[in-house]
Parts: sequence; C-alpha cells; structure tokens
Amino acid sequence: MKTAEEIFTALEEMFGAKRETLDKWGVTAIVSAGYLRNVVQFLKDTADVELDMLVDIAGIDYLTYPNHEGPRFAVSYSFKSIANPGLRFRLKVLVSEDSLKVPTLCGLYANANWYEREVYDQFGIVFEGHPDLRRLLNHVEFVGHPLRKDYPAQKRQWLSTNDYLLPALEKRLEDLGYRVVQRSKEVGTNDNEFLEGSIKE
Amino acid sequence: MIVLDPNGEKLNLMPLNVGPSHPATHGCLRFLAAMDGETIVASVEEIGYLHRGFEKMVERGTWQQVIPYTDRLNYCSAIMNNIAFCRAVETMFGVEITERAKVLRVIVNELSRINDHFVCVAAAFQDLGGTTPFMYAFNPREEIMCIWEKLTGARLTNSYARIGGLYRDSYEGFEADVLAALDSTEKALKDLHACLDRNRIFLDRTVGIGKISAEKAISYGWTGPCLRASGVASDLRKDEPYYDYETYDWEVVVGTQGDCNDRLQVRLAEIEESVKIVRQALLRLTPGPVDIVDPRIRVPAHKLAYQDMEGLIGRFKSVYEGIRVPEGEYYCGSECANGELGFTIVSDGSGHPYRIKVRPPCLTQFAAFHDLVEGGQLADSMAVLSGLNIIAGELDR
Amino acid sequence: MTAEAEKPNIITSSLDFIVNWGRTNSLWPFPYGTACCAIEFMSTEVGRYDLSRIGSEYVRFTPRQSDVLLVAGTITYKQAPILKRIYEQMAEPRWVIAMGACACSGGFYDCYCTVPGIDHIIPVDVYIGGCPSRPEAFFDAMFDLQKKIKDESYMKQRAERVKEQLEMIKAKTAEAKANAKEFAQEKVVEIKDFVKAKEQNLVKKAQFWKE
Repeated sequence: MKTAEEIFTALEEMFGAKRETLDKWGVTAIVSAGYLRNVVQFLKDTADVELDMLVDIAGIDYLTYPNHEGPRFAVSYSFKSIANPGLRFRLKVLVSEDSLKVPTLCGLYANANWYEREVYDQFGIVFEGHPDLRRLLNHVEFVGHPLRKDYPAQKRQWLSTNDYLLPALEKRLEDLGYRVVQRSKEVGTNDNEFLEGSIKE
Repeated sequence: MIVLDPNGEKLNLMPLNVGPSHPATHGCLRFLAAMDGETIVASVEEIGYLHRGFEKMVERGTWQQVIPYTDRLNYCSAIMNNIAFCRAVETMFGVEITERAKVLRVIVNELSRINDHFVCVAAAFQDLGGTTPFMYAFNPREEIMCIWEKLTGARLTNSYARIGGLYRDSYEGFEADVLAALDSTEKALKDLHACLDRNRIFLDRTVGIGKISAEKAISYGWTGPCLRASGVASDLRKDEPYYDYETYDWEVVVGTQGDCNDRLQVRLAEIEESVKIVRQALLRLTPGPVDIVDPRIRVPAHKLAYQDMEGLIGRFKSVYEGIRVPEGEYYCGSECANGELGFTIVSDGSGHPYRIKVRPPCLTQFAAFHDLVEGGQLADSMAVLSGLNIIAGELDR
Repeated sequence: MTAEAEKPNIITSSLDFIVNWGRTNSLWPFPYGTACCAIEFMSTEVGRYDLSRIGSEYVRFTPRQSDVLLVAGTITYKQAPILKRIYEQMAEPRWVIAMGACACSGGFYDCYCTVPGIDHIIPVDVYIGGCPSRPEAFFDAMFDLQKKIKDESYMKQRAERVKEQLEMIKAKTAEAKANAKEFAQEKVVEIKDFVKAKEQNLVKKAQFWKE
C-alpha cells in the first residue's frame, strides 16, 4: 500500500500535479481539468493505490476569500480506498469564471452523477459529458446558483407548480434499451401561479 | 406510454408517481416509476424537498453556531453529527480533548446509534404493515430520550458536543440510567428478533429484495450498515480509529447477501455491539475535566467571567467574534449511524466558516435506488426504501 | 330557511353537541411530516405518550379521510405546491396544526429555500412552538383544537351553507333567466329580420313580375 505522499509524488511526475498548501492535515493535489479523468483513472486502477470510492465532490467559491489569487471556483474531490483501509486522497481542480467547465467523472464512479448535479445546481459549474445535468436540490424554476458568494442568502424564489419527471423517466427507459413509441400526455406547468400574493422578494 | 422493449415487443407502461407525501417516503422523497403491471421497469428519483440551505446558513454565523445546524442533519441521532463536526474542527486546531470527554463522547455516540437503528427498524416494520415491533422499538428509545433530557436539556436536537469539549459534564446517576436503558434495549432486541427472525410475511417481503453486490455498492459510495450488509467489513471506527475505538472489544458486523433483510439485521446486530461498547466505556469513565483549557477554542467557564478580567474578555471574544480556526482546507469523515458523515471545511482564518460541505451518507444510498427497485414489484420498493434508512434532513441538508 | 330556525333550540343545540362530541374525540391526523418534528410525532404516537388517549391514533395518509393536517417540519419552496394541493384535497371540516418552529415561522432557517411559515400558503388553526415540539406541547395543541371544535355550531354552519346555496341557486336562476331573455330577444330580432328580408324579396319579385 502506498501512502498519500507517495501517490502525490507519482502524480507530480506523471501529470504535473501541484501540492495544495492550504490542506495541512491531509494530501491534496491540484490537477488541471484536462488531466482529471486520466488522474482519476490512474488512482482507481493502479495496484497499491486503488482509491475505489469517491467520497465527496465539493464546489468552492473563492470570491470573498482574503488574499486569494487565481481562478474564482474550485471543485474538490475526496477519495478513499476500501481495499487499503485508511488511505485517503483529495484532488482539486481550479475553474475560472469564464470557462466554468470540468470533465465529468460519470462512468468511473456511479455516485459522481448526483454529486456533480449538486455542484452544478449550487455553483453553476458545468460538467462536460455528464449524461443528465439537471438541478438536484433546488426546484426547476430557480434562477441563479445559491451557494455562490454573490447570491443573497434571503433571496427567495417561489415555485408555481410541482416539477414533472416524465422526460427524465423517458431518458432512463432509453438508457435501459427501451424505445418510446408514444409519449404519455405531459402535464405542463401551471400558468396562473397559485402561490401568488405572498412575499416574493 | 407505449414503448418497445429491447426485444422489440410492444409494452404499454404506466408512469406512477410515488411521494413526496407518501407514508413510506417520509414526506421528502419522490420517485416516478414506469410500471408494467405490478413490475417497475424504470424509475427516476427526485430529492431536494427538504433542502434547507445548511451550507448557506452556516456561512453567516460563527463556528460554534454551526453545531445546532448539524443537529438537524440526521435528527434521529443528533449528537453524532455534533461530535463529527467538532472532531473535524478539533483536528484542524490540532488539539486532543480530555480523557473523560472522549469516553463520554463514545457513550453518547453509541447510545445515539442505538436510537437511530431502532427508528430505522421500527419504521421499516411500520412501512411493511407491522405496528407491534414499532411499539417495542420505541420503549428503549424513550428511555434514552429521558437520559438526553437530563444530560442536555433537549429530547431530540441536543447540541451536546462543543468544539474542545462538551456542553456539560454528566449528571449524578448517569451511569445507572444508562445501564437501565441498556437493559431495556436488550429486552427490546429480544422482542424484535422474536418478531423478525421467523416471521414468514416479513421474510418473504425482505429476503432477496433490493440486492446489491459489494462492487456496485462501493462504486455508489455506500458506507455504513448498508455497505456492511453487502459483505464489506468497512467501519471507520476500525479503519481510522478515533476516541480509542480500537481498544474496545467489539466486532464489525457484516452481512452476506446485501439484501433488504440483511440491512435490517445488520442494524440490529450493531445495536448489540453498541451495547457492548457502552458497557465497557462506562467502566472507563473516570472523574476529570470535560473541557480543554484553551481560551482560543473553548469558552472559559461562566464562573471565570465573573471573577477576572481575562475570563471576561475571553468569553466576550469567543461568543461575539467566534473562535478562529486555522486557515486551510480539510476533509474529515466520522462513522455515523447511516455511514460516513464527512465535512469538507474551508476556513479563511476568521471567526466564520468560509465554506462547509456536508457529505451525507444517505445521498449515495438513495442515488442507487433505481438500481435496487428496477425489475422488482412496486410493493418491494417500500421495503427497499425503509431498509436504506433515508433521513431527509441529511439527504437534502 | 326562516329566522326562527336559525335560533338555537333544544334540537339544534343537542345535535350540535353530539356532532362536536364526535368530531373532537376522533380527530384523525394526516401527518405531513417532513423533518425532525415528524420523529417527535412518532414518539407521541407510541408507548409513553400514546395519542390514542384522545382518539387520534388512527393516522391516515390520505387527505380524503383525515380531519387534521399536521404539518410537522420545514416546508421548502419545492414542497409548497404539494402542501397546498394536499390541503385543497382535504374534505370539510378540516383543521391545520403547524408543529414546530419551522412550520410556524421558518425557524432558524432564514434562507433562500425555506418558506417562512406555512401560513403563507394555507390557513393555520393551532401553532406549536419548539424545535422540535415536545409531545406534551403536541397534546396541548390537540386540546386547544378540541376546545375550538367544541365552540363550533354544526347547525349554524349548516344554515349558513344552506343560505349560501340558496343564494347561489337564486343568482344562477336569475342569470339563467336573463340569459334566456337575451336569447329570446335575439331570436325575435332574427325572426323579424328574416321576415323583413322575405317581405322585401316578395316585393322585389312582385315588382319584377309587374315589369
């Protein structure tokens, strides 16, 4: 079993990873977005490393961080290994405000799907190649990305009617090999908002 | 909707919406299933019905003010979340809590685990139509609630842990109360096993339902009892031990099949292990302080604030400005009742958290829901759902 | 319905008493439990606290068969339309209890996603404080609700309802009459025009033949 330090040295040699100095308690490697999938593939498949579980994906917005230089956003990935208990490793990808694009990890880890949808929902970071990039926690009519530092915490947004899942279901059926011949009647969104008249702002 | 299946045969499917207001989905989960008769062909899930903005709210307060919010993540075992968060921050400070606080934390941790597992098993039974075990499981739970009331002042959302210690020391007669609660826990376990183990209806509805292989569970990021039910002996208390968990005599419970019945049985067996740990921990409980003495981290005692100037200043600064956690980023996971509860913490060195991301154990489990129910019957999906023990508070945060 | 019948007399007041007695002692709750308060409601239901003492142990999960909508837990904007619809699906008479700080006012979640109190969406009869409310507080709220129901008069409500219906029928009849009249007038005008056109035609024909 390799230690986290050894893994980092390997990444440094192979992919030019940089050490995140902020993480003083564990090992975090900053990799460029282009190499992300290769790095993760390496971490997952190499013997002695086998980081077979994606523990978490967290988005970070550095807008109001004191003395921060560099891109505004970052996506941080936490991995751990079931095969080698106790081994943990973190990756970080910096995302600039202009591009907002990161390659997806779907296909490598099954749970990346929902984690990435959540980061997209909260920060607006687009995961390229994601099969179904929709909002996860906020409702369909939500405008903006609430966990960005410039989103006011109390800016409320009402939902007029419940969202429908039929398109997602059809997509799931097609993924399973079915082909939709005739669609069921879709329930459209309600035009007259029945929650009108309450506090809007 | 009319579809062609992979063999080219025509099927007439009915989309059926379940939840969020459904007795088995606990108010906050929803899935839309394409039904072929009683069989689920495909299913998609939707969450976010209890998204309360934990991560936005905590950025507005001080570090200590995060603790009440963590209570409401997994409200069945609130103290565990407190401890998980406090442990993460204490690691960032690089301090060790006192010996008595460690043992007390182990005791309340395991009692919370018992509480949580009882709610899960009881609710699973209730969802499958059995009311009696529900009553059995809630009796010891009420006793533990009484202990919480005496210890922390609240029944459910306790906020017992503090960064650098505990809210207060245990009361007189705490040990006797805990021992009595453990006795009634064991009695309830016996009753539950009598209801569970040879109950034909229950076994028919849970054995072989919602099976998942170990590889798939790992790929989905499952942790805790659900992963262990699939046969993976992974427990953070053993793998990355904290609070001297490795020195207690207990075993990691592992299932064999990875089905719904295993997930519930693993929980019941874990209650037994927790009882063992609490009994040993009670013997280790020695008198001593529960808070570390460090005005940077823990608020000085109330008495000091009245006696000398330093204490007053320390208290004032700690309450109004908040403690200053060292600048940096850190991920810390703890073994909670449902699995690994992790906090990704970003601190900018000020008195307020810059960003805290919660890694909820439920999210990964519910993300696999469609894999578990597709091909099964609609009624089985309820058994699967209650076996996973989805707590909406930490699912949606 | 005359004014005489609306006054309470021995028959109507006894009927009121019986109806209210029945309603107060078999309040079937619909637990719209979303968060922590729902767990406390579960504790209220079982063993130590035992909700069946006041005849409410029969928890119904369909809005059609329940009397009390018990909103236990935070309501978010994503959930608000669902809660609204469930309230609308409940049959009269219906009451609402807001259990816990979140349902009353949003609690300490003052955020972009939480509704600051369910009274922005549906009317509430009883509020319970606490985060979460204790089972004792829940019982207190149920007693308050029972008191409220005891003060209601079934006969009066019925009289009002009948009156409303009568008025509605009257209004509808008047509307129908007015419609019919208009329609008849239009018809008369049409016939007149038709006759006139025919007459003119005839006159034209006669003139043609004369020529």
